[in-house]
Amino acid sequence: MSNERIIPYQPTVIAGPKQALLVTPETAELMIKKSKRPLLILGPLVKEEPLLSFASNIAEKWNLPVVTTADAYKPFKDKGLNPTSYGVVEIVNLLNDPEWKGVNGEGQHDLVIFLGCIYYIGSQGLSSLKHYAPHLKTLTICKFFHSNADASFPNMKDEEWFKYLKKMGTSG
Amino acid sequence: MIVVAPEQNSKAKKFKDDFWKSKDIKISIGDIVETKGDTPESDTPMGPTPKPHVTDLRSWDMKLLSRYEPFYAPFCDMCCLCTFGKCDLLDKKGACGIDSKAQQARIVLLACNIGTAAHAGHSRHLIHHLIEELGEDFPIDLGLNIDIEAPLIRTIIGKKPQKLSDLEETMSYVEQQLSHLLSACHTGQEGSYLDFESKALHSGVMDDLAREVGDMAQIVALNMPKGDGDAPLVEMGVGTIDSEKPVVLCIGHNVLPGSNIMDYLDETGQEEDLEVCGICCAAIDISRYNDRAKVVGPLSRQLKFIRSGVADVIIVDEQCIRTDVLEEAQKKNTAVIATTDKMCLGLPDMTDKDPDLIVSKLLNKEIEGALILDSDKVGEVSVKVAKILAPERKKLKLLPELDEVQNMALECTECAWCNRVCPNDKPMMEAVVAAGKGDFSGFEKLYLNDVCYSCGRCEQECERELPLMSMLAKAGERLAKTEKFNIRAGRGPVQDVEIRRVGAPLVLGDIPGVIAIVGCSNYPDGGKEVAEMAKEFLERNYIVVATGCGAMSIGEYTDEEGKTLYERYSGDFESRGLLNIGSCVSNAHISGACIKIANIFAKKPLEGNFEEIADYILNRVGACGVAWGAYSQKAAAIATGVNRWGIPAVVGPHGSKYRRLYLGRADKKENWKIKDMRTGKIMDGEPAPEHLIYAAENMAEATVMTAKLCIRPTDTGKGRQIKLNHYIDLYKKYYGELPPDIHLFVRNEKDIPITYKKDVKEILDNVGWEPREIPQEPSLMGIGDD
Repeated sequence: MSNERIIPYQPTVIAGPKQALLVTPETAELMIKKSKRPLLILGPLVKEEPLLSFASNIAEKWNLPVVTTADAYKPFKDKGLNPTSYGVVEIVNLLNDPEWKGVNGEGQHDLVIFLGCIYYIGSQGLSSLKHYAPHLKTLTICKFFHSNADASFPNMKDEEWFKYLKKMGTSG
Repeated sequence: MIVVAPEQNSKAKKFKDDFWKSKDIKISIGDIVETKGDTPESDTPMGPTPKPHVTDLRSWDMKLLSRYEPFYAPFCDMCCLCTFGKCDLLDKKGACGIDSKAQQARIVLLACNIGTAAHAGHSRHLIHHLIEELGEDFPIDLGLNIDIEAPLIRTIIGKKPQKLSDLEETMSYVEQQLSHLLSACHTGQEGSYLDFESKALHSGVMDDLAREVGDMAQIVALNMPKGDGDAPLVEMGVGTIDSEKPVVLCIGHNVLPGSNIMDYLDETGQEEDLEVCGICCAAIDISRYNDRAKVVGPLSRQLKFIRSGVADVIIVDEQCIRTDVLEEAQKKNTAVIATTDKMCLGLPDMTDKDPDLIVSKLLNKEIEGALILDSDKVGEVSVKVAKILAPERKKLKLLPELDEVQNMALECTECAWCNRVCPNDKPMMEAVVAAGKGDFSGFEKLYLNDVCYSCGRCEQECERELPLMSMLAKAGERLAKTEKFNIRAGRGPVQDVEIRRVGAPLVLGDIPGVIAIVGCSNYPDGGKEVAEMAKEFLERNYIVVATGCGAMSIGEYTDEEGKTLYERYSGDFESRGLLNIGSCVSNAHISGACIKIANIFAKKPLEGNFEEIADYILNRVGACGVAWGAYSQKAAAIATGVNRWGIPAVVGPHGSKYRRLYLGRADKKENWKIKDMRTGKIMDGEPAPEHLIYAAENMAEATVMTAKLCIRPTDTGKGRQIKLNHYIDLYKKYYGELPPDIHLFVRNEKDIPITYKKDVKEILDNVGWEPREIPQEPSLMGIGDD
């Protein structure tokens, strides 16, 4: 199927006419550069190596505040990050509130990058933000196309995905 | 006629004669409110809201909804309910004016109504049938240890039901409310998301009532265990079923066809000749009726077991049954008998035909299956068909050989669409590819603990049309034979005497909480996690109650000695007690136990007194539901119902697809104000419980959140220490350090668990914590517009 890369990974999560913009690592980096208060949300699917390192490197390279969901906190804390732990529905609920001051108390975030949340609950969270958080953009850098995000990596195999993540986490 | 319970001496007269019809006489008897002087409720004044209409408890709902604001995650951007549409509601209103939030809440209300209707239809059928069999005056008597037989009915309806016909009044009320609630879903009715939610909460409580009616009726009329902690152990698991014998499988939720099969076997002396087993709640309820019935397992077993061909006859009743059951059964020459109006499957109605004629037509394939709406007749027909069919079907009880599975697996093109359409995102393709090389471990991993819950969506997508579920069933066959467990038969309600024993330690916090493991088997990673959660809380002295598929999954875990948790822990409502309460309808007894605590321990009157009772439960009773695999509309109604009573619930990640959660905001101090009813003072409260319904991403998160949601404002210092100790322990176990929000739950230094004193104090110092006043009678009543 020629467009397999941009059909939502679980095809039935298609919610309506609006679909995410397909992005490359370069475009994703541009979105981060342009953002004033980005936030990286790391889920339990990236708590093991090599993804743990890829994700940590991205957080460090871009100096991103990090929220971990489910039990992803400990591995990232041990890796040297200083994450804040929330349930994925809790953080999405906070992000929906334009008055929330963000994880560092500096104001609501304007870009939220998701990596490693379970696909279907992640998709629901992105749908919630799509509807009720017009004040921010969402970007997913999982190996799955998320149609409910504003921007998403395509569906891809591990090899290609690892290259994408390495690229985003490497200086220069 | 098959007698389903001991005959009563005096049977009610049946007004079925033509005389009444021919004279067109209509009898209308008004509600009789007064009861005999010696009944306990005669002195009890009626509270403010007997038989509340849709809007009568709205003020309570709005209090809950302002603290636990609805969180919406649309499953669909559009509305396609009327011909104006489809309407795209993303940043827009629909043609009728509805916005996205109201539409989500409307769909939630619709789901709750569907769930409530399923239970109400089930219960109405049960009482109709049982009254016909046993008479209107058959007494509702749950034995000496249960005086408060119907805590939900008493609180909502305002009366104690004393005989079967009294339950009809409750059903009529539920049905009336349900039509109003369903009406509100029509285009151009409700427009406020909060009012849709208030109606969903009302629907949930109607569901509660319907379930209480259904379970009480079947307990008293079919003589099921009446709050018996020592209810018998029942065999469970595919390995317990002797496929050499004729096998009748019951799927669904209605006990009547199954109980009649057991009666027919007893009456004809054939009880040792056949295997009667069940899947889903029908299994639980038949084994409550007769402990020789076997439990195959939860809903997740359905397709695998049908494909195994072990069943000679499949009896379907209602709810949660595969709608393609007939097609699947025909592939294995298994006879299908549909038994309720809810699921007729296009089959010819044979209700009035002679049983032997039906048997003959089924065996000769003159009919595809039979619709038999008389459960007495189902018993006879199913047994006769199974006995004749079983010898003919011997070869069909075999799955393809493993080398056939390997050959089929070699056809896989590795397109990976089986993985992509798997709702649970499991590696089916990898299992197939490995099987092609003779390695069946991938299939076995999917089979074990129902990690693959056999929905069969992968098969629908496979471009080679591989029978993936049959391949899985074959690869797991070796494991299935070892699946031999024991589950305690559903015991029914918690006894009053048990409440008297644990009421104080529960309300004061010495018993850290009641964990209710309920619901279906749409688990993110298999049923073992449910047993692990149960074990975790049992070892920590919580009371664990369970129903339905959750209760079955708990029983599928064995320790080193081969014992299930049901064999290791007491079945009594006490610290470290593990209670199988029963089926879906038995969930009513869980809210019922919380209501009884308010009544027995705190002497709160029940009749017509919903808000005070719910307020008490919310603020004092440390109970939390865990519906780890919730999937159905019934589960939506159940959860929404318990939420209105003030009981929080944690659902699995699939629960986010219900579109709505009720989440508290611990960071908004103003949301947690309470009134101390003792002093009349409005005070700062604490986020306890923090959420009303919460979706967790994995088991670790769910376990920690469940412990946290047992904290209540009235915990004593000692009780709070115990609860915080468990919360900290579990947080440390899964997150590696102390919970960062621990300061929110420390009211004064007496609350700090001794084991963690130093660490907690350090956190308190860092956040500038100061001790705060503890309310004596915290309440949401008197807050807001009250």
